[in-house]
Formats: sequence, C-alpha cells, structure tokens
Amino acid sequence: MAAPDELFCWEGDWGLPSVSTDCLVVLAYAQFAGAPLKVRKICNPWRSPSGSLPAFRTSQKETLSRTSDIIIHLRKQKFNADYDLSAKEGADSLAFISLMDEKLKPALIYTFWIEPKNYVDVTRRWFAEHMPFPLNFFLPGRMQSQQLEKLRLLQGDERLEAGEELEKELYRDATECLNLLSQRLGSQKFFFGDSPSSLDAYVFGHLAPILRCKLPNGKLQQHLKSLDNLANFCSNILLLYFPRDGRDGCSQKSPPQPDAGDFDNVPSKRRKQLLSAVVALGAMLGYALLTGIVSIQHVQQEALEEPPDLEDMGSHEEEGDG
Amino acid sequence: MGTVHARSLDPMPMQGPELGVQADDIEAPGVQQEPKQEVLENKDVVVQQVHIDGLGRTKEDLLTYEIAEVFRAKNLIDVMRRSHEARQRLLRLGIFRKVEVIIDTARGEHALPNGLDVTFEVTELRRLTGSYNTMVGNNEGSMVLGLKLPNALGRAEKMTFQFSYGTKETSYGLSFFKPQPGHFERNFSINAYKVTGQFPWSSLRETDRGISTEISFPVWKTNQTLKWEGVWRELGCLANTASFAVREESGHSLKSSLSHAMVIDTRNSSILPKKGGLLKIHQELAGFTGGDACFLKEDFEIQLNKKLFWDSVLSASLWGGLLLPLGVEKTSIADRFYLGGPTSIRGFSMYSMGPQSDGDYLGGEAYWAGGLHLYTPLPFRPGRGGFGDLFRTHFFLNAGNLCNLNYGEGPQAHLKKLAECLRWSYGLGIVLRLGNIARLELNYCIPMGVQSGDRICDGVQFGAGIRFL
Amino acid sequence: MIRVNERVLLCLSLTAAEPWPENATLYQPLKGEGFFSSSCSLYHLQTYLRMCGLPVQVVCRPNAEYMSPSGKIPFIHVGNQVVSELGPIVQFSKAKGHSLSDGLDDVQRAEMKAYMELVNNMLLTAELFIQWCDETTVSQITRHRYGTPYSWPLNLILAYQKQWEVRRKMNAVGWGGKTVDQVYEDVSQCCQALSQRLGTQPYFFKIPTELDALVFGHLFTILTTQLTNTELLERVRSYSNLLSFCRRIEQTYFESKDS
Repeated sequence: MAAPDELFCWEGDWGLPSVSTDCLVVLAYAQFAGAPLKVRKICNPWRSPSGSLPAFRTSQKETLSRTSDIIIHLRKQKFNADYDLSAKEGADSLAFISLMDEKLKPALIYTFWIEPKNYVDVTRRWFAEHMPFPLNFFLPGRMQSQQLEKLRLLQGDERLEAGEELEKELYRDATECLNLLSQRLGSQKFFFGDSPSSLDAYVFGHLAPILRCKLPNGKLQQHLKSLDNLANFCSNILLLYFPRDGRDGCSQKSPPQPDAGDFDNVPSKRRKQLLSAVVALGAMLGYALLTGIVSIQHVQQEALEEPPDLEDMGSHEEEGDG
Repeated sequence: MGTVHARSLDPMPMQGPELGVQADDIEAPGVQQEPKQEVLENKDVVVQQVHIDGLGRTKEDLLTYEIAEVFRAKNLIDVMRRSHEARQRLLRLGIFRKVEVIIDTARGEHALPNGLDVTFEVTELRRLTGSYNTMVGNNEGSMVLGLKLPNALGRAEKMTFQFSYGTKETSYGLSFFKPQPGHFERNFSINAYKVTGQFPWSSLRETDRGISTEISFPVWKTNQTLKWEGVWRELGCLANTASFAVREESGHSLKSSLSHAMVIDTRNSSILPKKGGLLKIHQELAGFTGGDACFLKEDFEIQLNKKLFWDSVLSASLWGGLLLPLGVEKTSIADRFYLGGPTSIRGFSMYSMGPQSDGDYLGGEAYWAGGLHLYTPLPFRPGRGGFGDLFRTHFFLNAGNLCNLNYGEGPQAHLKKLAECLRWSYGLGIVLRLGNIARLELNYCIPMGVQSGDRICDGVQFGAGIRFL
Repeated sequence: MIRVNERVLLCLSLTAAEPWPENATLYQPLKGEGFFSSSCSLYHLQTYLRMCGLPVQVVCRPNAEYMSPSGKIPFIHVGNQVVSELGPIVQFSKAKGHSLSDGLDDVQRAEMKAYMELVNNMLLTAELFIQWCDETTVSQITRHRYGTPYSWPLNLILAYQKQWEVRRKMNAVGWGGKTVDQVYEDVSQCCQALSQRLGTQPYFFKIPTELDALVFGHLFTILTTQLTNTELLERVRSYSNLLSFCRRIEQTYFESKDS
C-alpha cells in the first residue's frame, strides 16, 4: 500500500481513545478491520483538512468527513470487518444502525450539548480546557448552537427548547433503543458471533461516551449501566482493542487528583476575583479622571508668595481648596 | 409701533400623538396692544412681504401655498389671524419643530406707510430621528427600534421604519408618505410590513407580510381614502389544544384587495367628543386583483354627540358590518368580524361572542352593535380645572349581535337573524382620557341576553383602547 | 421519523376505552400536490388501517400539511383527537385494542422496529432528497406541483421556502454533500437489505405488521410516481421479491375493497 491514510480526530479522555461518537466509530472499525491508520489526535477543528472532526485524508489526498463514507472507503481498500456476515446479518446491521441514528443520536446530542447542567459542567469545560487560545472562547458556544439547530431539524420542530418535556421524550426513545440493542445482543460477545463488525463499531461509538463520562445529570447513563451485557460489551472492546487508552484512563484517576483539583481552583479563583476588582476600580477611576468628574488640584507653594495684585486670585484658590 | 409676536404654542405633529394640551381648547392668541395702536385696528394694512427664515432642506414652493393667505389680510387683526392660521398649517406639515411669527412694519425702499412684513422663523426637524423602547408583557419582552426621516426630500415626505424584536415574534414596518404640495389633505403613502399577532380567544396565531398603497383626498366635507393591499397571511394554531375548526384554517393564503373608505368627522375631538358626529363607511373587495381570498366586506360606524345640561354629553353610536364571500370557498377566520370586550359590548370577554367551536371563537360574517352613553363629570368635581378634567363618569347601554348569515335567503330573513339572540349590557364606569389618542375605562357591567357559548366578564371590567363603542 | 408525541399519550390515557368511531377521517393534500412523501405516507397509513380493519374516510385539503399538529401528513382526525405519523397512530390504535404486532416475540419486535427505522432513515430521506435537492426534478416537477393550490406569487415563495427547509434538514443529517447517484446507491442498499430480510416469505414476519404497511407505502410510491428519469424505478424493480410483495398487498387490501 501507498502512504497510510490519516485520520484526524478529537482527543480522548475518561479512558476512551476519543470523546466524539463519530471518531470512536471510525477508530473502532479501523481496529476491527486491521486497517493501518495514522491517527492524529487534535483539539482544534480548524486544523483538520475539512474544518470539522473526524476528517479522513486518504493517500490520494482526498478528504472524507462522513463516517459512512470513511467506512466504505476502508472497505474498498479491502479492510472489511463485515466480510463474514451473511446477507441477512448485513441487512440487520443496516437496520440497527438506522435505529441508533433515529432514536439514540438525538438523546446523545441532548445529553451532552443541550441539557444545561451537563453542558456547562462537563462538555463546555472539557472543550474550553482542551482547545487552544483564542478558540476556547467562542468555539464551544458555536458548536452548541450548531448541535441545537441539528436537534431542531432532526425533530422537525423549530421552536424546540431544553426542558423536561423534551428530555422525557428523547430519553424514552433512547431507553427503548437501548433495550432493543440489549435484546439483540443477548449473551453474545459481539452482535454477530465472535468477531466484531461495523454494527459493533457503531454501537461502541454511541455507548462508550455515555458509559465513561461523568455526567451530573446521568439518567441515560444509569439506564445503560443497568443493562449489563451492553456495559460489558463496551468494556470488552476497550480492553481488547484500545488497551493503552483504557490504562491511561485508569491511571488518571489516581488519588492526587481530587486534592489537586481543589487546590488549583481556590488560589486561581481568588486571584481572578482580585484581578477583576482591581481592573474595575482602575477603569472607573480612570474614566472619572478623564471626564473631569474628579479632578486633582495642585496647590503650588509659589502661589502664596505672589505679588499683591494677585492676592484675589490666591484667595480664590484657597477657597477652592477649602 | 412695536413688533407683535404671536404666542408660540407647543409644536404639534401632523397626525399622531398629542399628549397634554388640547388644540381645540386653546383660543387664538390675545393681542398685546398699546393704547396708541388702537387706531391701527381699523386702519387698512397691506402685507408687502412674507419671509420664512431658517429653511434648510425644505423646498420653498411647498411653503408658498401655506402662507399665501397672509397676503390677503386687510387689517391688523386679520393679519394676525391669518398668520396664526398659516403657522398652524406650517406646523401641520410635520417638518418644523418650532414656528414663530414676527409681524413688523415694512422696511426698505418700496415700503408703504401701512405696509407690514411678516416673518416666519422656523426650525426644521432633524434629518433623522430615532427612538428605542423596550416593552415587557405577558411572558414576553421586546425591543422596538424606530427611525424616522421627516421631510426626506424637502417636500414634507416622511419615511418611517419600525422594527420590533421580541422573545416570541419579530415584526417590522416601513412606510413612505407624501402629501401634495399645497394640499396637505391629498396624500399618498406606501407601506411594507410584517406583523405577527396572537389571538388567544381563537387559539390562533397569524403572521401577515404585506404591502399597501393608499391615496387620501378630501371631497366636499368628506375625506376619502382608496387603498390597495396585498398580504401574505399565515395562520397557525396557538396551542395543540386548538379546536379542529381553527386547525382547518391553518395554512397560507394571499389576499389582494381594493378598499375605499369615506369619513365625515365633525366632532371636536376623537376621544370623548362633546359635540359633532362621525360617519365612516368602509368597503373592501378582495380577489379581483389576484390572491386566494375573494370577498366583499362592508362596514360602517356612526356616532352622534350632543351636549346636555351641566356639562354632560349624550353619545349614541352604531356599528355594523357584512362579509360576503364571492368565490367558491368559505371566508377565512382572519377576515371575519369579532365582537365583545371592553371596547365594544362591555360585560363580555374580549372578542368572545358569537359562533364558536370548543371554546375557540370563530368570528362571524355579519354583525351590528349599538351603544348609548351619558358622560358626566366626576361627582363633586375633584381636581376641577386640571387633572380632574381628564376623568369622566359614564353610564352606558350596549347591545349587539354577531352571526353568520345564509346568503340564499332574502334580506328579511337576514334582519330577523341579526335581531334574534340579541346580547346587551348596561352599567357605569369611569373614563380617563390619555391625550388625544387613547382612553382607559373602568366599568361595572351587567351583561344580559347571554347566549350559550359566550364568555362574559360581569362585574368590574377594565378596558384600554383607541376605538370604543 | 417515528416519535411518540407526549400529547398523543395523554389522549390515549383518556380515551382508551372508546371504540374506533365510524367517522374517522384521514386528511391528505390534494392529489397532485406533494407527490413523493405525502403519497407514500398516505399509502402506508391506509394500508395499516385496512390491515387492522379500521374504517376511515379520506379527505383532500390543500393545507393538510399545516393542519397537522406535527407538520407531517397525512394525519387522522378521530373523535376529537388529531394524530399524525405512523408511530403515534399505531400506538393510538393499539390503545383502542387494534394491534398487528402482538403476535411477535421480543426479538422479532426489536427487528421490526429496527427495519422501520431503516426505511425511515434511508428511503424517506432519499425520497425527500430526490424531490427537493435534485435540481432537474425540483425545477421541472416539484416546485410546480407544490405551488398549485396557491396563486402567484405565493406559489413560488412557498416552494422556495420548502426547498430551503429541506436542504437545511439534509445538511443536518449529513446528506447535504451527496450526489443523486450516491442517493440511488443508498436506495439500492436499503432495498437489498429489505429484500434479504423478506426472502421468499409473503410478509416480513409470520403475520402482516406495520412494517409491511410502511415498506409497501414507500415502494408503491416509488413504483407509481413519474419522475424525470427512471433510474430509481429500475433499481427498485430489480428486486423481484419486493415487486411481488407490493403486488400482493395491493391485491389483498386495495383492489378487493374497491370492487
């Protein structure tokens, strides 16, 4: 083969090779099919060849963005994880992938991007911490509005807003989908026998972030954890195909972290408060001086020794000061 | 002989809000006379020159019409009266902030011994004025930005733009107004707008985007207006619980209509008049210049006022209207008439009378409503001469009906249908006048003749508006 | 998309006891208007109701799309409730005691739901794409048909507005950059999956279910709609078991009732 294909994807965290569902799907499929990929983990979507992540640059310098296109390309390169599937299993694959797209994806978008607590505490913080300056100021907000727009279009309702009603509706569909997947998986290791296929990659990509990420509002997470076979399925894949990332994730949970976290927060928060107060005071004072609301008058010593005909002015000055 | 200054009054815009002092209540300025000038009153004078100082972008030919009358004055009182009238006319154009009149003896080589020079010192309005308001209502806030270009091209043309951005809806409007130079009452205007409205009594949401052009001109004592309007209407349900009849009306439609209105208004004021009458007849024909809606709509409004003893006023008014569908389709809910509420038949909830389905009021194709009012000053006349004059007590009797007619039957059957199921109410209340544009009412009403399906508001009812029955 | 509207569930809880009334009405747009997506929804809904043996009258209205609470057509007006889309209607009729999929076990029901999503995800989106994002079809057929109930210039404004809306949706689901040929490929793939699943059986499962109604609705629409080119038709026709499936359902549920 010629120069290997390159995959640009989001960085990983919480024990996962990547935080984004689409990136996880591509990475998992590549591992299952044994495709040699040069993986570049970045946190700046503007540096990817297509402007968004994941982005796949083929050896012919062509750029693909859609996961389905990337998988088709890999298949054409003879890296096919679905080789052993029967026709009916292939059809079932397609059906279950569509099921996840329709029922699970909106709930995922809601959980990570629209639900206020999750978005502010987890998603926005993660992206703001990992993105380079100055993107971390506006890009997470922009991504959020894009995701909200996408959810609105998917649900067909222009006036959709975050709220309990929407959450209930989406989570109901998502839990039904998860139950169906669990029923289909049963007690097998992978969905179609002993070797993983593209359906396994899709399921892994959608479920892993929910399982691993610590969310304040984790209703979906709880339900998923209660479905043992799906939870084991994800851990299994991580263990077998992404051992390094799994271990990194574990090592990050070492004891110093909670203290370090608190320790870091307190002085920097104080510092920030002090700094903002100083800046505000300085700004107000500067404005007052410049517009003349407050003026500082110098009383010169020489004024008191002026010749007699300027005595009037001198007395006026003194009155002014007094 | 000194100079005589006409007393400057506050500037009045040509059409629109006038809060505070009433023009009709002010009499013509008094004359400060020195004893020596008594002789001048009877003496013939000739106005030789009229100057207008302070013009910037206003074109002079526009103003010559307004001040032409001043030249015809024969004596000093006449000069003062005519210059006062000319000043009113100049202010009415809406392009000057202030107009002051100075009458002086004629100077210069060709000055006659009884010649006078009249000078109008004007201050033009700024080229562009803007306004910004924020409004907060039920669960909704909006920001309103207005821009006005008075006297845009020098001949009293006015261009206004208004934009309202709210949490729920946005709307905007652009309009251009041009009077005919010399005949301010003859004018035409063009408007383009997008307006959204929510009507909870019908569970209906309506968005209108349209253009209209209109021409007004006076004919003898009446004021006629001809208008063409093209509107793209989008109707939708306000909530999922809207009745099916309202749901059936959802969708888009295009209305292109020609309308004509004739107004004779001899009242001394449009809010709480003391004398005079109003006759307004309006008709609208839609469908023959394009569009989906096809109907003929007629409505009229009559009001008569008479002053009685002790500063009280008796007022009688009658409204009526008819909507005739001309095409194959039924009329749309957005074209029908609505009745009821503190501004029409008091004692009933807003527009909550007549044909309805599951609690949503659908409006009717024919209606009539009449009212008889007696306005008196407040008992014991508190605050007389000042604030108390803005309040009036009123006793009222309202009656009316709103229904759909079967157009196949004759006029006898129609009249019979309008007369049966009559709703009426009576009561008393207090009215507060807000300048010359609006009025607030607090009434105690007793509705009678209530039909099943009507929603009433008996007891105390509050109303605010511009047009009251 | 199959979603269960919260309001539908509320209605279900209140009216489960009432039987299916005689005057249930199904509202659809005017005959020539929507062509693809509306007529296919019409067919699959009618098929489903006929399979359940529920009587329904069909009424054509030009503003059916705007009357529907979710914006999807057709919808049914039963008693004083308005329900749109196949999913909620299936739930609604289930509450009234009519259900087709009761005889299936859990795994089969999971498969049925997955295949229904497959059809919605691929066939429905492909139909929308061809109808609104393929320039030749849009300019020659769609725009004209969509604007027929309205007068000028509203017919043009609405058609362009709808086109823009659909394009945005396509971008959101990731189909924005696809070409028509790629879409035809996707349709073929979907038909192949359906064909594989159907095999030689008369229905997808032992008894006719809502999946059969849905597949019939989409395929029948594609087979009977006139487009600018016949490629889509050819691709669907190449799966003979799907063709005979459609013919069978048409004969069973439509021709016998009409005669």
